[in-house]
Amino acid sequence: MVPFALRSLLLAGLLAVAIVSTHAQESSRPTGSVEERLSALQDKIIRLERQLGLASQHSPADGIEERLAQLEARIADLSARWEASLAAAPVAAQAAQTEAVSLPPAASAPATPQAAQISASPAPQVPPTEQMSTPPYAGYMEMHLNTARAEPSLLDFHRFVLLFGHSFSPRMKFWSELEIEHGFIEGGKASGEVAVEQAFLDFFLKPQLNFRTGILLAPVGILNERHEPPSFFGVERPFVDTVIIPSTWFDAGFGIHGDLGRGFSYKLYAMAPPDAAGFSAGEGIRGGRQHGLFSVFNSPGITGRVEYRGVPRLTLGSSFFSANTGFNFPNLDPRLSLLDFDARYRRGRAEFRGQFAQYWLSQTGDLNRTIELQTGINPNVAKSTLGYYLEAGYHLLPFTQTADVVPFFRYEKFNTQHRMASGFTALPQFDRSAYTLGLTYRPHPDIAIKADYQFLRNRSTVVPISNRFNMGVGWWF
Amino acid sequence: MRPTNRGNLLVAALLVLSAIPMQDHAQEGPPDRRVEIVGERFSYTPSRIRVRPGTTVEFVLTSEDTYHGFFMADFNVNLMIPPLGKGEATVRITFAEAGEYVFECSRACGAGHNTMRGVVIVKE
Repeated sequence: MVPFALRSLLLAGLLAVAIVSTHAQESSRPTGSVEERLSALQDKIIRLERQLGLASQHSPADGIEERLAQLEARIADLSARWEASLAAAPVAAQAAQTEAVSLPPAASAPATPQAAQISASPAPQVPPTEQMSTPPYAGYMEMHLNTARAEPSLLDFHRFVLLFGHSFSPRMKFWSELEIEHGFIEGGKASGEVAVEQAFLDFFLKPQLNFRTGILLAPVGILNERHEPPSFFGVERPFVDTVIIPSTWFDAGFGIHGDLGRGFSYKLYAMAPPDAAGFSAGEGIRGGRQHGLFSVFNSPGITGRVEYRGVPRLTLGSSFFSANTGFNFPNLDPRLSLLDFDARYRRGRAEFRGQFAQYWLSQTGDLNRTIELQTGINPNVAKSTLGYYLEAGYHLLPFTQTADVVPFFRYEKFNTQHRMASGFTALPQFDRSAYTLGLTYRPHPDIAIKADYQFLRNRSTVVPISNRFNMGVGWWF
Repeated sequence: MRPTNRGNLLVAALLVLSAIPMQDHAQEGPPDRRVEIVGERFSYTPSRIRVRPGTTVEFVLTSEDTYHGFFMADFNVNLMIPPLGKGEATVRITFAEAGEYVFECSRACGAGHNTMRGVVIVKE
């Protein structure tokens, strides 16, 4: 069945063509008797109806009065269809180049009586709340091949993510992200996972103050909220965005966000805090994420981000996350304080990114001792971890080309044992650095074919770390 | 009403209908103001534009990454912004009345799609 929007568009187009084509004929002053003019009008309306594929349901009428009444009704009907089609059809807009096109309204958008207008004030009779814009779904996927010396090469369909949205109104919207990781889920065995990474309602109150609740992405760093495969270089996400900022970091919560003007925007959420029982020496707080699974919310974590975009092609951001994380310990409540600074900039065909993140955790001595008492293993959680990276890429082809080829280089330093509590020794194998040299080929702006080689180093003389070669393909729609 | 008058009225109605497609003549001539907006995941820059009532603004829309949308419900404007380097979309809108007019991305562009919004503030 032809979608409603398409049918409406077709109808609008046909009617416009028909009217314009008849306009020239109509433009001359009507001549002849009333009878003749009525007949001519009747013929034209019949032609219009036929061109639009509308079956005539009118029986022949006798007498001028009856014929006039019939014509009035048919014109009213045509007018109504014209108005409705205009409201449903995309606005005619000029595109400077061929790839700029008008979008049809969302399939779920109701037909409104507002006519399409380019140069007009808003039609006051149309409540904006009846209009919607967001298409209901999107998605991204990525598959990786990871190889390392003395390890099996692994081909992994890493992420299959579907995003669904719905606009209840322009001021009330839903957005979600459902992810299947590693392709296959089987109960009771080590396998992939299904995760609802986002599912929230937005209440747009004012540009500078909006309310959001549900499962939220922690607004920390560059990548946690911007992780579509074509949007970052490298097959795998940066290590800093894995072990210092544990992306994808999501949990239940609520908060406010808005645009402060002059290029500044912010997010401020109360979210379920991570669980200190899951912290570790090598992956920091990553294992403590509650994922919205009966998340303990006794003492919510507070997280926020400020971004500045006042200069073209430059984005500066800073984020924090602060939470008490000891809710699974009776006499212990380590305080997590995370801080991030990041920047992105493009100059011509060159792109640059940089990010610094560090967190501090209190009571780590007691935390390590308590966990060791409970499990027999000292997790050696650090009281401070630190990581940063610098990245540069260069688009070899002009942006006007269909394809895009970008070699890039990224240097990362990440140490999940940066500072230790008294009586605990930092494990040097977790003081790591990575040099990633790679290439991203985009045959389409939303498809990325990637390859990179990672030179990995650590400070341990005992525990080696292997270099990696990665290949991957990711796409967005 | 006399039949002749009603007939003329019908002809006039049809002529008015036929004139509807000709309403976008405000595209002609220079705009009062030209605003270049860059969209990227998940923001517009600038995201806040202030104009006076009666101003005709020409929006020139480009992207820093992928396809984005530019949707203004109040004017039933819905455009696709081509990806980085692949062109621009333009639209002219005359803001006759004071108010705040939100524009937002109408192409689901990623995890933060909902926050890709901006506003035109029309005020004396």
